[in-house]
Formats: sequence, structure tokens, C-alpha cells
Amino acid sequence: MKAPETLLEVRHLSYGYEEERLALDDVSFSVNKGENVALIGHNGSGKSTLAKLLMGLLAPNEGEIFFFGLPLDRKNLYSIRGQIGIVFQNPDNQFVGSTVADDIAFGLENACVPQKEMQGIIESFAEEVGMSAFLGHEPQNLSGGQKQRVAIAGVLAMKPSFIIFDEATAMLDPKGRHEIATLVAKMRKENPDLTILSITHDIEEANRADRVLVLHSGKKVYEGKPDAFFGNPEIYEPTGLGRPFFYQMKDALLAEGIALPSEVCDLDSLREYLCR
Amino acid sequence: MKNFALGKYVPFDSLVHRVDPRVKIFATIALLVAIFLPQETYSMTFLVEGVLFLLALTLLFISHVRFRDILLSLRSLWFLVIFLLVIYIVVPKKENVLGIAWNLNGWIVYWDAFAEAGKIVLRLVTMIMVTMVLTATTKPLDLTYALEWYMTPLKVVRFPAAEVAMTVSIALRFIPTLLEDASRVMKAQASRGVDFEHGRLWQKITGLTALIIPLFVSSFLRSEELANAMECRGYDPRKKRTRYRTFRLHVRDVLGLLLVAAILAGVIVLLAMHIDLFALWGIHAL
Repeated sequence: MKAPETLLEVRHLSYGYEEERLALDDVSFSVNKGENVALIGHNGSGKSTLAKLLMGLLAPNEGEIFFFGLPLDRKNLYSIRGQIGIVFQNPDNQFVGSTVADDIAFGLENACVPQKEMQGIIESFAEEVGMSAFLGHEPQNLSGGQKQRVAIAGVLAMKPSFIIFDEATAMLDPKGRHEIATLVAKMRKENPDLTILSITHDIEEANRADRVLVLHSGKKVYEGKPDAFFGNPEIYEPTGLGRPFFYQMKDALLAEGIALPSEVCDLDSLREYLCR
Repeated sequence: MKNFALGKYVPFDSLVHRVDPRVKIFATIALLVAIFLPQETYSMTFLVEGVLFLLALTLLFISHVRFRDILLSLRSLWFLVIFLLVIYIVVPKKENVLGIAWNLNGWIVYWDAFAEAGKIVLRLVTMIMVTMVLTATTKPLDLTYALEWYMTPLKVVRFPAAEVAMTVSIALRFIPTLLEDASRVMKAQASRGVDFEHGRLWQKITGLTALIIPLFVSSFLRSEELANAMECRGYDPRKKRTRYRTFRLHVRDVLGLLLVAAILAGVIVLLAMHIDLFALWGIHAL
């Protein structure tokens, strides 16, 4: 078997806004090609700081970040940014264009894509995120979820191999959250090489990821499969994070004396099991 | 806050809407010049102004601007009309040609006073209507792009035309967002007991600081996030960019340009050649 290609590698990263207290303390991890990794942590766990460091908006005190094998420094910053896409938290503050089409075009304009090709690219990616009918719409007439879908279309239009979602669903209502989750699942299905790092405090979203990284008080406390984390009270309890609904159900059933068989591992199989 | 009729875009797909914004900007300026070029006699002035007024009215009609909005934008002129009349009546011109309107025990008021005031009011009304055609039929963003096009020659002297256009278009893009912020802050402050509506002027002003300061803070936060997002999407003002929106001149644009140029040229010719159309027709008018 071929060794997985590492797209992002973080080595011994530390950062402190003040000298005595580190917001991020010796964090190391890597993300491989085609993976969907969720980075979770409570408020103040350092995940926003890590996001800023990854985007090159802050410079680390110690440690290094490598994207595609290149160190993230002043020299490589622009070429790296050209290959990664970032979807931010606030739907309004990343909507640059005056209409949906203009916003998707913004990244293309920056990359000097010829004007003749733009319309086709814009239409195909608006279609991809289900916003074709809204190309002429202005941001104030769109819902938060729609704005985030436009942001994703703008990112996808640049054909990145790596997308970072920085709490992209935190400001959305449940409907918008569901829209984005469905879209991301579809994107991953269509392009298995697409790598996603999702910084989130949505526990359900983390539970769907291939791997979770858990930060607590600036330190990495867990890296691995989501079920090994949420199924193990000794690890998750000190982090103060909530648990996905499935695990709450599982515990509640156990308390009633119903032990679930091991093949019941998510909500769908649980629903099926209970109905039987 | 949302009640400005002047400068409001009217979403509709009329012929005037479809004209190239660059042509519309040029046409507006040309018509404004034509409006304010002084004609020699009252009769000629009112003839030329009247024609331009009817033209502006027709354009507004074609662009589907509501009659009510036109009246609303002209509403503030009432004060000016009265002010001008008073000035012209109290301070008469030296030479009066239209005769005496009334003579009250030596206080003589000439018809010229009314004619002069009428001239200025007609000009202002036409001016407002012409600019209204521009703003009602052109999206702010297209206006920005057109202005950028006009500023392109200034790039030779290192004028940052593209950056200015980007700044203006972002400012326009964020107006609704900031209005939304403002109403949210107002509601939040009102629920904490800040009174924006009652009390003395000073109390109202101090009440407003409870609105302005949070609004400032939130717009600074927004601008920082926006700058980060733009940077992460590869925006570099010093780098060359391509454009999604470009303009192409159509036949209707050229025709519009010719029409406006002909009007301006006609007005200039009338003025430069001292032509009095009424005299040509054999009417003695003043």
C-alpha cells in the first residue's frame, strides 16, 4: 500500500498572546490527502489561534507549519494560499462581491482567470452548491446558509486541494448547518482527494469526520477516530465538550439495561435497531 | 433612514437601464452643462429649459420611476422657491424688461423677479430629474465601474483607480449590512433602557453615542475579517487582476451618445451664434 500523502504537517507549534500564558502549547499533527479531519475544542482551547496560525495571519513563537511539504513562511505564503481554500465563520464578512456572481468571480479575478472563461466557471460552481438561481442576488437577500454556500463556491472555483472550514457553520441556524453538511458530504463524494480540515465546536460534525483532533487549554489531548474519543469518558470529560446524540442515547439505553451490539455505531443503525 | 427617493435604484429592465453606465455618466454631465448654459433672452431660456425638462421627464417615465418619487425628491425645493422669490422681489435687478407687476405706493415689483426665480427653479428641477435618471437606472456598482473607467487615464500619474473602485464597491456592498447592524444595536440598547426618541436634544445626542460606538466597534471587526478573507482569497492590490464585469458599447449606446451630443451642440450653437428662434419666426419675444 502506498503511504498517504501528507498535505499539512504541524510540528511542535506554540503561540502565546501574553508571555506567561500560551494559547497553544506544543501542538503537533498532520493531515493526509483525502482526509476529513475535525479540530474541536471548547472556547479558549486555542482552536481559533491555531486557525489564524494556519492561515499565516499570526506567526508562531515556536514550531513549524508545512503545507504540501513547504514551510509556511513569508516566501511561500502566497503560493500556499493559492492552493488552499478557507471558509470563515461570519457569512457577511467574507462576501466581497455585490452579487453572488461577483463574489464567486472575486477569487478568479485575483488569479487572473481570463474574463471569457469566468461566466462558465461561475455558473458551474454555483450549480455545484445549488445557487444557480441566485446569481444576480445581493447578499442582504440571502440566508446565512446560502451565503456560506456562495463562499464555498468561491473557494471551489479556485480548485483547491485542501479546504479549511473555520467554524463555517457556527453562525448558522440548524437548517443552514444541515445544508452545509450535505454539501460537504457531496463534495467529498465527488472528489475523494479533497482534503478538509474543519475547525468547529459542532460535536455532530466532528462525529462525522474521519479523525478528530481535540484541543484543551492549548494542548492536544486526543487525535484519532471520533468513536474512541466520545466513547471514552476518561478522555472527553475533562475537555468539557458535549457528546453527540448517539453516545448520549447509548449511555441512556445502557442505564436502562439495554446494551447495544457493536455493529450499531451511528444514528441510522441505532434507529433501525430500535425499530426492530 | 430608508426614505431617500433621490439616488434610489429602481429595479427594472428598461431601455434606459440597459444603456452603458459610462454613456449615462457622460450624458448626465453633458445635459447638466446644457441646462446651466445661460441663454440671452427669457423666451429662449424657457424654451431650452422646457425642452430639457420634457426630455428628463420622458426619460424618467421610460425608466419607470414612480411619479411620487419624483415629487418627493423635488419636495425640498419649495423652500428654495420662496427664498429666491423673496430675494428677487426685495432686491430687484437694475434692468427690467418684463414690466411692472405691481406698484404699491412706490414699492415696485417687476415681472423679472418672478422670471428670474422661475428660471433658476426650472434649472434645478431639471438638474435633479436628470441625475435621478442616472441613479434610478444604474446600479451603484455599475456606476463605480464606470467611474473607474473614467479614472483609468489617471493611472499614468499613479492614481490607484482600481483600489478606489474596490473601496467604493465594498462600501456600497456593506451599507445594508451596517444598516442591519445599526437597527440591531438600537433594539439591543432600547431594551437596556436607552431612549433614542424622547428627551432634549442633548439627551438624544448622548443616546446616539450608545448607537455609534458599538457600530464603530462592529464595523472595525468586520473590516478586519473582510481584509483577512480577501487576503486569503488572493487579493493583492498591487497585482494585476482580470475583470468579471466588462462593458461593450452597443448600437443603443452610440445612438444615446449622439443624441446627447447633438443636444449639447445645439444649445451651444444657439448661444454662440446669438440665435433667437422667436425672432426667426417673426415673433418679438423678450
